[in-house]
Amino acid sequence: MDLTYTAAEEEFRRELRSWLSANVPAEWRRPGFWESLSDEESFALRRDWERDKALAGFAGIEWPTEFGGRGGTPGMKAIYDVEMVLADAPRSVNPLGLAFLAPTVMAIGTDAQRKEIIGPLLRSEVIWCQGFSEPGAGSDLAALSTRGVRDGEDFVVNGQKVWTTNAVHGDKIFTLVRTTPGSRRHRGISMLLIDMHQPGVDARPLKQMSGASEFGEVFFDDARVPATDVLGAVDDGWRTAMLLLSFERGASGISQYTEFRRQYDEIAAVARRLGRDRDPVVRGRLARVRTELECLRLHSMHVLTQVEQGRDLGFEASATKLQWSETFQDLWEVYDDVLGEHATLTELADLDLRPLNAQAFWSRSVTIWGGSSQVQRNVTAERVLGLPR
Amino acid sequence: MFFALTPDQQEFGSAVTTYLAERFDLAAVREVFESDGDGSPESLWKAAGEQGWLAVTVPEEHDGLGLGLVEAQVIARALGAGVAPGPWRGTVLAAEAIRLAGSPEQRAAWLPRLATGAAVGAYTLGGPVEYGGLADVVVTPEGLRTGFEATPVGSYDRTTRLSRVEGGTVEPLPGDASTVEARATVLVAADLVGIAREALTRTVAYDREREQFGVPVGSFQALKHALADLHVGVTMAEHAALYAAHAVDVGLEDAALAVSVAKAKASDTALQATAAMIQYHGGIGYTWEHEAHLFYKRAKRLAGSFGTADVHRERIAALTL
Repeated sequence: MDLTYTAAEEEFRRELRSWLSANVPAEWRRPGFWESLSDEESFALRRDWERDKALAGFAGIEWPTEFGGRGGTPGMKAIYDVEMVLADAPRSVNPLGLAFLAPTVMAIGTDAQRKEIIGPLLRSEVIWCQGFSEPGAGSDLAALSTRGVRDGEDFVVNGQKVWTTNAVHGDKIFTLVRTTPGSRRHRGISMLLIDMHQPGVDARPLKQMSGASEFGEVFFDDARVPATDVLGAVDDGWRTAMLLLSFERGASGISQYTEFRRQYDEIAAVARRLGRDRDPVVRGRLARVRTELECLRLHSMHVLTQVEQGRDLGFEASATKLQWSETFQDLWEVYDDVLGEHATLTELADLDLRPLNAQAFWSRSVTIWGGSSQVQRNVTAERVLGLPR
Repeated sequence: MFFALTPDQQEFGSAVTTYLAERFDLAAVREVFESDGDGSPESLWKAAGEQGWLAVTVPEEHDGLGLGLVEAQVIARALGAGVAPGPWRGTVLAAEAIRLAGSPEQRAAWLPRLATGAAVGAYTLGGPVEYGGLADVVVTPEGLRTGFEATPVGSYDRTTRLSRVEGGTVEPLPGDASTVEARATVLVAADLVGIAREALTRTVAYDREREQFGVPVGSFQALKHALADLHVGVTMAEHAALYAAHAVDVGLEDAALAVSVAKAKASDTALQATAAMIQYHGGIGYTWEHEAHLFYKRAKRLAGSFGTADVHRERIAALTL
């Protein structure tokens, strides 16, 4: 058992901390700061900051140096994830591009694609969206019907994507499109890399139940994409998508643990402030969720160990997602228990409850996106436990 | 970062598992369960002595293996999975108390004998004592009790025998025995984790084969989702027991939290997994002839041993609120 990081990893932590303390403005740590900005202002600020961070060498931590990464260890990536949360660094403007598209392009992209996509993505010069879900294809992704028809050197794309993160800010979208007319299920699909700045693409925000608009819809109306802008082979897009999603498997949950632990402490502080910490039922509920949070921390050390040992975690990623997302949701249900009749108030005594409620509402979404809890349970039952389909 | 068992540690656990599968399977457990004997079959006790299961944490200078609580919890987990009878845990814990807090004379007198199984030990904070009737020495908060009277206490978990212990003489332990309760709690948690994993594995195996409505019942989502959630829960409980063992052994700052997390999680998960074992076997799971009740009853007893999940949750609240 060795729960420490190497000297080189700790040195990396010191460098990163020092950069973050000099480059995260104090104002950003003020509760409610980000909520006080418009969506446009917030995105622009985060985009510039993320570019500066990349230019300082604190991006692509585990990427090979040939792609502009740092060539760091899995331990450095874990440290990076933790320190970003502890420093109150803003959320990434390119989460899906960085986590999923980039490693896929490194693995199977053409030389031209590697050159064009990876550097600008790392520096947030190009914001990438993911075009997978459709109104008729949510958990059942293979039911997608957006179609692309070959026309000379281009594909002409028609259809609609939905739940698209950063849709209104996107520059490009990696999109699953049915390129063989009449093909069924997993066959005849290609992953097209579509420029969103063209008349045939219309991105609209979706207002969520929280009031925020992290997601949107993307409509394709005779959008054009050069036939060379296919990631992987034409009609082999399902395989490309599965490869792309496999890069989630190394995710340990340490970033989620760090964030949720702080939220636990905040909720505990509210409980103390309201005298609710003396209620035995509230104490029991908080302790139950803290137990699950500690398990998440240990699980993240387990995942990191497996990654460092070079093992493929396979479908164990479903257990990781279930543990963090269900625990996060439980945590914010406890918040409601703590607040009791005040659960929907925007303020109480001298407490500003808006940032807390933003998280409480957001917690309803995490068991849906990225593979719903029900899908993750199917995967766990069939692929891990071996129960019949 | 290495949060896992080493190959040697894994080997230690699989040696116990293999021994139980080949020499002391559930039919043998059932024989003990249904007998009026002392509940500690001779062949199994001999193996525990010969194979180093008892010597695991005893220092080498006292004929032990000089290993830690991490290795001990590996054995505890395997014994739990096999619902194995016998005073293994009490003997290891008595040795731990004497190793940590005993005088040189007490160590020399007891440790070599406890390490081989020549002497049987027990550990209690009060209340019924596991295998008190067989124990040569019982470690209590007051010290080492010997020459006592043991009266059997009835219990539905017949994989373990309990006694009330009275009288005799008590010899104090001069040193610091403050971590022994934590060690006991970790070993009980590990036993529960072993029970939970085995109950889940057996249930999954059954539900893959058992057909109703012309298909295996394990193909129904109502079962799949419950079993998937249990798999996640058992996996987390395994992490928690392993971490708690390490945290206590090396004295990590969060050891007290880690122990309570492990016991709360292991207790809940083992109760859920063994209840699910009964439910997802259907009627056969409720019969005496089926093995489910061996797991269920052992889980039920150990879930209450060294603090229920609620007791540990209150400790977690006290530590974190």
